[in-house]
Amino acid sequence: MKTIAIDLDDTLNDFTATLRSTDFARDETHALSEDVFQDYLAKVRAGLPSVDGLLSTEYSFFRYKIHQQCYERARARADGADFLRRLRQAGWRIVICTQRDLRRAQDCTRSWLRDNAIPFDHLFMAGNKIVFCKVWGIEHLVDDHEFNIVHGSRYGVNVYYPATGRPAGEPAAPGAARPFSTFDEIMPWIQG
Amino acid sequence: MDPRVALLKEFYRGLPKDRVKLETQEHGFAFLEGLLSGGVVLEYGELTLSGLLHKYKLAQVPETRMDEFLLSHVEKACNVCLYFGDRANETFCFNLDNNQQGAGSATIPVMESAVRVLRETLVGAGCEPLIVASGRGYHAWCRLDGAVANERLYDLMLRAGVITVAALHRQGYDHHRVKFNFYPDPRTRDVVSLRLFGSLHAKNKVFSHVLAGDRLLDEAASWEYFAGHLRDKTLSVARFDAAHDALLKSSGF
Repeated sequence: MKTIAIDLDDTLNDFTATLRSTDFARDETHALSEDVFQDYLAKVRAGLPSVDGLLSTEYSFFRYKIHQQCYERARARADGADFLRRLRQAGWRIVICTQRDLRRAQDCTRSWLRDNAIPFDHLFMAGNKIVFCKVWGIEHLVDDHEFNIVHGSRYGVNVYYPATGRPAGEPAAPGAARPFSTFDEIMPWIQG
Repeated sequence: MDPRVALLKEFYRGLPKDRVKLETQEHGFAFLEGLLSGGVVLEYGELTLSGLLHKYKLAQVPETRMDEFLLSHVEKACNVCLYFGDRANETFCFNLDNNQQGAGSATIPVMESAVRVLRETLVGAGCEPLIVASGRGYHAWCRLDGAVANERLYDLMLRAGVITVAALHRQGYDHHRVKFNFYPDPRTRDVVSLRLFGSLHAKNKVFSHVLAGDRLLDEAASWEYFAGHLRDKTLSVARFDAAHDALLKSSGF
């Protein structure tokens, strides 16, 4: 069975645009002053990690809560959803592959996929998606992360990425990751 | 049935057995197909950054499959991590984890102090825990002879945790270096699971040795201690209530 792995945030949805444009409201569950709330929010929008050497902090908890709101609010790419529906009809196995913490985000992720009529077979979280695709024998990965774009071809994983701010079309080198403007462009690349 | 599996089933009898987080090196679609046979459902999978360690959150697990998983657990082929019941449970557990980034595999000094103070606090309240080493921290399990509402279990754990943190602060430690998680937590009871005693830690491959006094027991002695704790240290619900009352008074809030 042909299998494709596909990322969610900034690939199938507009996560970063949602993060930057949403007017997040402070409430008592944040347990933060307005100043701290705004400071943390600015850091989350800038993509900053915790800097105090701890794994779990007030800031990391806050960042997850903001991210979860974005998971719920982000808009699906219509062409991405349509692309996956056509793959499903053609008998492909579809693996949603994300860096989200699915321990906490599983429910909202499944709801979002259902609400947007996006078909899938399995939901996986993976810190290193190239390793995941390699060891699971998945040849095709749609993902926007620079690491995967750069390293996919070396490990035999064909990577396709949204051409946001980059020219779509042919890869920079034979076998290298391919940028696309619309998901339709991927279809002939993966037939073979 | 392997006597170790029987012990695990008895100790953790109140925890739901129809869902599980399985930790294993096994992966691939052929493996997954076998894993999901008999109606088992994969909620999500995970490839961790520790080698090829995979985690699978499974639901609708038949009893016979759970027995197979538990046997694999004691044979160290995988780890079984269980979730807690929705409303009430017969076990509760403190999970003390290292909260320091890049601190290596060694247990940090504040952790040793934390687990010692926590044990003293619980024993002082009449609630002796079974403490097992887990990665860079410890799990402190307490077992009851009947179910207690999650909110009450959590309240006892919160108070014991606060007393422990206050003691660490007085001793001059930075208590932020230790992460306290309480199971069951009514807010996250279906989100987080806890590895059962009797297997190897997924990352450091070290057995879940029992901490008796200030020393870790070897594997055989740990199983013996585990059986003894199950037999002799299971708390009555009345004893739990008394411990809760004692901690209500001593925690000061």
